[in-house]
Amino acid sequence: MRIKSLLLSVDVLAVTTLFLIICFVSPALAGDVQNKLVAESTIEQVMKRGVLKVGMSTFVPWAMNDKNGQLVGFEIDVAKRLAADLGVKVEFVPTKWAGIIPALLTGKFDVIVGGMSVQPGRNQKVNFSIPYDYTGQTIVASKQLAAGFKTLEDFNKPEVTLSARLGSSSVAAAKQFMPKAKLTLFDDESQAYQEVINGKVHAMVGSAPTPAFQALKYPETLFLPIEGTFTKEPIAFAVKKGDYDTINYFNNWITVVAAEGWLKEIKHHWFETKDWESSIQ
Amino acid sequence: MRKKLKFTLLDALILLAVAALAVYIGYRINVRLHYKWNWSAIPQYLFRIDNNGDWTANLLMQGLFTTIRLSLWATLLATIIGTVAGFFRISKSLFKRLLGRTFVELIRNTPPLVLIFIFYFFVSDQIMPVLGVDDFARNASERTQSVMTFLFAPPRFFSAFISAMVTVAIFEAAYITEIVRAGIQSIEKGQFEASYALGLSWRQKMQHVILPQAIQRILPPLAGQFISTIKDSAIVSVISIPELCFQGMELMAATYLTFECWITITVLYLILTLSLSLAVERLEIFMRRSTA
Repeated sequence: MRIKSLLLSVDVLAVTTLFLIICFVSPALAGDVQNKLVAESTIEQVMKRGVLKVGMSTFVPWAMNDKNGQLVGFEIDVAKRLAADLGVKVEFVPTKWAGIIPALLTGKFDVIVGGMSVQPGRNQKVNFSIPYDYTGQTIVASKQLAAGFKTLEDFNKPEVTLSARLGSSSVAAAKQFMPKAKLTLFDDESQAYQEVINGKVHAMVGSAPTPAFQALKYPETLFLPIEGTFTKEPIAFAVKKGDYDTINYFNNWITVVAAEGWLKEIKHHWFETKDWESSIQ
Repeated sequence: MRKKLKFTLLDALILLAVAALAVYIGYRINVRLHYKWNWSAIPQYLFRIDNNGDWTANLLMQGLFTTIRLSLWATLLATIIGTVAGFFRISKSLFKRLLGRTFVELIRNTPPLVLIFIFYFFVSDQIMPVLGVDDFARNASERTQSVMTFLFAPPRFFSAFISAMVTVAIFEAAYITEIVRAGIQSIEKGQFEASYALGLSWRQKMQHVILPQAIQRILPPLAGQFISTIKDSAIVSVISIPELCFQGMELMAATYLTFECWITITVLYLILTLSLSLAVERLEIFMRRSTA
């Protein structure tokens, strides 16, 4: 009996204390929390460090090494301008595509500027800015295995095998539009392309424009069964969850550079011309 | 007397079979795969001429140098850990023996790939910020940074390089532990008994009697382990350390020169490991002579 009443009084005491803490301390705490959030936001850390660490993965023509060992490409231009506008240096962290989200979450870099398309599944893990570009999936097929294939429906058969890059949005697109076909996944895009060039799979699903470039490079083995792209995917910066200051900065930055017409300009350079190709090989 | 070289029918058949296989593979690649070779693109990725007109290492050679740095430091660290753990393995104290054994069995029975991921995503994120490795590398003076770049890696890769080095070192240390333990235990029992009879302390016994003999037996397999480290270091490419394998794969992703890149990487690894193998062979002969 005595023990029980003692426990009861402890309970009452605890609840009262908690109540008092909430009443008196929380207004002061809220201000602290806000200051802390601002100080801890990625953008604030970047300014303090003077370096923006950008996670990316080689993806022609988004990001690639040129002859001088320098990174070039659409995303590289975007990230360089972003850092310049922030007044900080830019540092690229080349990362395997399949592990790029875990690497962001564990703080290997501040932001992914790597042609990452917004997907609900990815959005559960990271926050996205507004889109700064759109891409789409397209398909390049083997002349030998997929002769006469003209629509996506032709590829949607159990005997058809498709290749794609592991963890890319091509995988989701292939599963959505050709659910019956078998999928073989590769760590690198070049391996996925090699597979279709070798005639081991019927077709390769990849982000435009590279499939079209490959079809031009290997006219005797590859062809484009459908015109244009069959998906439209928004491309956005990815940052850690719960960091609204950073998202706000990125969103407004994108709005500004898009209004300038700058994004369109560099998009034209990397995607609609091949002026850059001589600097790669 | 030299034995006369005999070339039998079987030898000829084997040689023929190997040659036929090589020709067949060459045929498959050239004719069936429609692969467009472009070897002329590769040399510029080994060395390039910079803006001042000097030759500098490009992607692949930078990768090779990173591999060498990584292997050297990892082996050095692994030797230290391995020596301590090796002494633990033969200690009189049960606790130390258990500790040593647990370390060795835990590491040797885990795939290195799994170990790398665990270390990179869990351990290094908890340890590196606490130690302030990243801040140190970034805020160091220019002179310190250039020394760091020469010895380890550029500041931006420094913390990743350190975590890769530690992972490889821990992994290799498990094997070096066994090399050290076997080296010491291979010394004849009489040597231990003699030093005991002479009233030597544990330290004197080790320093003057056991280790001078054991080191001669430890050194050749240790050098062999160094070659293993070079080969094993390729797996850190999965955590995006810019070593030879990773750089090669990046290059492949950019240029689509799959075969050329892999062949070049293979040749670079072979040059490194074969020359070291020859050196280890020399070392073994030298050791055998000096003991005899």
